[in-house]
Amino acid sequence: MCAKPKKTPDQEQYDQLEKKYETKRPVLKNCLRAFWVGGLFCIVGQAISYFYIYFFNFTEQTASNPTVATMIFIAMLLTGFGVYDRLGQFAGAGSAVPVTGFGNAVISAAIEHRTEGFVLGVGSNMFKLAGSVLLFGVFSAFVVALIKTILIYMGVI
Amino acid sequence: MLKGKQSWVFSQRPAIIATGVTGGPFEANGNLADDFDLLHEDLWMGEDSYEKAHRVLMEGASRTALRKAEMEKKDVQFFLGGDLINQITPTSLSARSLEIPYFGLFGACSTSMEGLALGSFMINYGGANAVITGAASHNAAVEKQFRYPTEYGGQKPPTAQWTVTGAGAALLVQNNGGNDPVTTAATIGKVVDMGVTDPFNMGGAMAPAAADTIYNHFQDMQIEPSYYDLIVTGDLGKIGRVTALELLKNKGLIIPDEQFQDCGILIYKEDQPVQSGGSGAGCSASVLYGHLLNRMKRGELKKILMVATGALLSPLTVQQNESIPCIAHAVAIEMP
Amino acid sequence: MPKYLLLLISLFLITGCSKHDSNEAPLSLIKATNPTPSLIHSESRSTDEDMLQSIEKDIEKQKELYDAAIVKNDDTVLIAYKVRHLQRFHMKKIEKDVKGKLEDKYPDVKFIVSSDFKIFLEVVELHEQMKNPNFSAKKAEKKFEKIVKLKKELT
Repeated sequence: MCAKPKKTPDQEQYDQLEKKYETKRPVLKNCLRAFWVGGLFCIVGQAISYFYIYFFNFTEQTASNPTVATMIFIAMLLTGFGVYDRLGQFAGAGSAVPVTGFGNAVISAAIEHRTEGFVLGVGSNMFKLAGSVLLFGVFSAFVVALIKTILIYMGVI
Repeated sequence: MLKGKQSWVFSQRPAIIATGVTGGPFEANGNLADDFDLLHEDLWMGEDSYEKAHRVLMEGASRTALRKAEMEKKDVQFFLGGDLINQITPTSLSARSLEIPYFGLFGACSTSMEGLALGSFMINYGGANAVITGAASHNAAVEKQFRYPTEYGGQKPPTAQWTVTGAGAALLVQNNGGNDPVTTAATIGKVVDMGVTDPFNMGGAMAPAAADTIYNHFQDMQIEPSYYDLIVTGDLGKIGRVTALELLKNKGLIIPDEQFQDCGILIYKEDQPVQSGGSGAGCSASVLYGHLLNRMKRGELKKILMVATGALLSPLTVQQNESIPCIAHAVAIEMP
Repeated sequence: MPKYLLLLISLFLITGCSKHDSNEAPLSLIKATNPTPSLIHSESRSTDEDMLQSIEKDIEKQKELYDAAIVKNDDTVLIAYKVRHLQRFHMKKIEKDVKGKLEDKYPDVKFIVSSDFKIFLEVVELHEQMKNPNFSAKKAEKKFEKIVKLKKELT
């Protein structure tokens, strides 16, 4: 990784001048929107989960798999219809953090690169955004499991 | 003729006899829809990729300019153009079908004025009788390369800008005494880097470059800002515009607020979701060759200074934590 | 956007209101049902019924729980309960706690304890069906086995 270049005094001075006019991210508004939209996603997910519990032989534990699959399917439709990016601009983390955001990252990349062919386009670019989530997700799970194993071995837990 | 440090004066006053401006659906809903010659209904423009649609934009603008001037492509000696895509392929591919000897230019969003300045220089010194110059950008193709996939639901900060889907081309010829707008001077800018690293704040990064070029233009030409009816920047957006104004004020160059406009703000309506404004190589090209020249022809403006600003970054330099180098070129356009 | 969502939600609501034959079970999602414990197959009915009642009382004493459905078949007692909302963080601990207490008290009975809503739903449904005299003990036993299998199934 390359280091950030040091700023010269001139650049520092300009930085301060520019900050004066820069529109700040409306953090509080973004948080509220993320809260409501993220919550709404979860309500839909909960409804789907109960749907599987009521009509199929799924328990609360086993219903999570088909629920996630359904949510990602819905995210796929919304992405394809061009709704999800607008929703993302409105809700920010509210639509990015749930599993639908992960689905959107994969699907949007797949759509974007289909003009380059299925193998070199879709295949190699599909995970260009989500790939690092997978990598670091698996890696951190490994580290946590390792620590837990050591602690159990040492008799701490 | 070189005047001052970095400016050219075009004593022969090359004339812009015709222009062609094309745009996309988002621009059709914008402020300046009436000033476009050709507006496409969807981003694909009948092609099977956005990059090919990008080529259609550039080609359409050039052909429209030729048609309006009632000229054949064999009458034109050179084609100077560029865009933002890797290796400027959309422009090169339109040069392939135009079959005009071609200079590919890259100055990011400042390409439009780089082309106009160089074209005027050629015409002024008899290097050509007629040249076409233009620039284009396509929202989906550019976003794909520089940012995230089009459908990705990431939240853009309020400093971000919307890449214009559009192209503008101008046909420049030797002055024949007609009643067409002429280019009288150009100032070539130097690369200015004020250490901004945020690729979602182009306006803030480019403002110093714009201010530098504008300041040097007035120094070289030894004129006052009031000489021009309007000083127009390319795509500084809301944040860059006010920052550039303040920078100029600090250098002792007072420009009234209403005399200092920005193409990125002019092109879209207030309620369109473009955050800070429009950007892209097609932004300055389509607004100048459409809206602004139309206003000049209607007599609303006599003399304008067009300053196209460009951020010379690539996704790679951003990821390697390089700050954003910026440039601006200015061309003075007057009615005879 | 709201249109799609509305469509989806109404779809679930419509399908949710049409299918079930028993009327208590689907409502148990929103209200406490507190069904009386039922007995499927037993060697001595009276002692077992007494035992079930005392188990019910024991469960009621647990403050974290608020709704329990109990069913007994032979030596197996199946208890499905709901956990109070804020106590759901300690679900595993509660399960262990309830199971341990009951096993201490009734050492010769096998307990299956679950906080899973699906199990609860099925047990309530079983209660309902057993009220119907046409519903044979064999069928009830079969359903009981099915619920036990469901409980053991993980992921």
